[in-house]
Amino acid sequence: MNRLAQEAVLISLTRRLRERGSWAGETHVQKAAYLVRELLNVPLDFTFILYKHGPFSFELRDELGSMQSDRLLTREAQPPPYGPRLETTTRGEELEERFERTMQKYGPRLDWIADRIANCRVLELERLATAIWVTRQHGEDASVQTRAEALHELKPHVPVEVATEAVQEVDFLIADAREQLNA
Amino acid sequence: MLKKQPEIRDTVHNFIAFDPSEQKVIDSQPFQRLRNIHQLALSYLVYPGASHRRFEHSLGVMELVGRIYDTVTRLDKLTDEIRDVVPQKDSLEDQVSRSLLRLAALCHDLGHLPFSHAAEDELLPEGYDHERMTYEILRCEEMRALWRLMPHKPDPEDIAKIALGPRKLEKLGGDLTFSPWEAILAEMLVGDSFGADRIDYLLRDSIHTGVAYGRFDHHRLIQTLRILPAATTEAGGEQNEAKREPQLGVERGGIESAEGLWLARYFMFSQVYFHPTRLIYDLHLKDFLAAWLEGGQFPVEVNGHLALTDAEVTSAMRSAAKDPGAPGNDSARRILERDHFRVVYQRRPEDSSFEVNAIYRAAEEAFGGKNVRYGGSPKRGDADFPVLDRDGSSIPAISLSSVLANLPVSRDEYVFAPAEQREEIEQWIETERKQIIESAYEAQAAEEDMETDQEGEGT
Repeated sequence: MNRLAQEAVLISLTRRLRERGSWAGETHVQKAAYLVRELLNVPLDFTFILYKHGPFSFELRDELGSMQSDRLLTREAQPPPYGPRLETTTRGEELEERFERTMQKYGPRLDWIADRIANCRVLELERLATAIWVTRQHGEDASVQTRAEALHELKPHVPVEVATEAVQEVDFLIADAREQLNA
Repeated sequence: MLKKQPEIRDTVHNFIAFDPSEQKVIDSQPFQRLRNIHQLALSYLVYPGASHRRFEHSLGVMELVGRIYDTVTRLDKLTDEIRDVVPQKDSLEDQVSRSLLRLAALCHDLGHLPFSHAAEDELLPEGYDHERMTYEILRCEEMRALWRLMPHKPDPEDIAKIALGPRKLEKLGGDLTFSPWEAILAEMLVGDSFGADRIDYLLRDSIHTGVAYGRFDHHRLIQTLRILPAATTEAGGEQNEAKREPQLGVERGGIESAEGLWLARYFMFSQVYFHPTRLIYDLHLKDFLAAWLEGGQFPVEVNGHLALTDAEVTSAMRSAAKDPGAPGNDSARRILERDHFRVVYQRRPEDSSFEVNAIYRAAEEAFGGKNVRYGGSPKRGDADFPVLDRDGSSIPAISLSSVLANLPVSRDEYVFAPAEQREEIEQWIETERKQIIESAYEAQAAEEDMETDQEGEGT
């Protein structure tokens, strides 16, 4: 996927999250991008590391910043105590329209992820994304308990029982995503 | 009688004291090499005072990061929410953390190539950059021998993690897992918001260039730094702040000094670091090095890297400039005779980066690759840090400060050409601009459509 097409996918993802009521701050878009790549093979070319609030990409942060600089996205400051939200622009939506075939291919996958996470808060997204991270590290065959303990070790503020629920939910999402890809 | 702790006089911080372990690093060959690496590359051709080196900057960063550590780990600065993340004061972990942090500060720039960032792109093999070189030097035999002599016997991997931070390690593909405490330590040194690296270079570069915009009240800023739970980001978000990961922020009373830092950064980027004349000198230097270096690239084995400094490159440029048959003669001559390329196009408010690049590519095709160059700043980061409000809650700085919320995000980008062709190319761009941009968009969409067709539906 070339860079402009990738930007179009990120605009589309942000728009779909906002349409479904997501706060769509940077963290929401970061986690949505990670999930859509890991679960649905949308080829977003960013390296993720395990950092704040789980898997995080500085490359993606820079890309979102560049897109604001190019007025493809805009950042809406919110009154205290809330963080800013990302919003698409007319210019951004024009770019999305230029990549009609790319959107035909990946649009349903973006809808799928937006449907499932638009209502998730940052802390829920952190747990889900980190549960996928540990599942990738330990393999899908590793027991729920093993992965939940690994998640707790990486994110000590997530209790083991909450980590267990997150891993179980991720197993369900992985199965559901496979069905979506095979549909 | 106790031996007096050694100190060095410094332009910015007056005195910088160091302990015997730090002295071992300062005396090492890799660190002493930084005496011959200009902090701001060829910026001294624009700002004559900008002849300071990475050596004093690295000492300054060590001094500042020690002050930051001592402030944010003070007992009266720790709230219950983050107390368990921070090692107990004066414990072994506390001492080791502080020592590692200061060593990492000393070492964070060891891998810089001659003339710092100026010529890094394209002059190193795939997968290498100055951060990777820093990583290699930290693990070389000379440095390993030093680490073994130190009381805490630091692991170079731990130093690298803090010295490079998550952003650089992401590029290197190193250990990509940061504990909350490791993330905080790295933030103190190389963080986007309050990293000691940034505080020192803004102050130091400002003093040496004579560009006063870079100064801000760093004493007040450091005094008000805190480790805070990440701020609430969304309406309806979970209110239990204790569950949120900590990061470096400021007390409410420090927000003006934080604004000062971000404004200083904005002004220094446009006035100094990405001044168009500095950018084009960097590009001429890169052209010279590509011609002069064996195989067009810097050596990446540690000894070869350490043997090259600005001194060797300057000497080679002076020779090449006098000899029309020497590799890199034209670029060396342009630098030394100040016959640099001139700006023929500057990014307009309505442009995107893609569009400026399209104009550059088209001009390059029309007028020849040797006659057109592109230079630009990276995008500017957002101020993303929490503020400790008077009621004890963490609030995103951007929601409190209209200064931070409205910092310009646009990039500075330029197309350059030789002075004698300036007028011709400027006019050509003006005439062709709209068509160039539309064609570039169409080509990208067509390329992507073809790729999508080839991949088919299954990915």
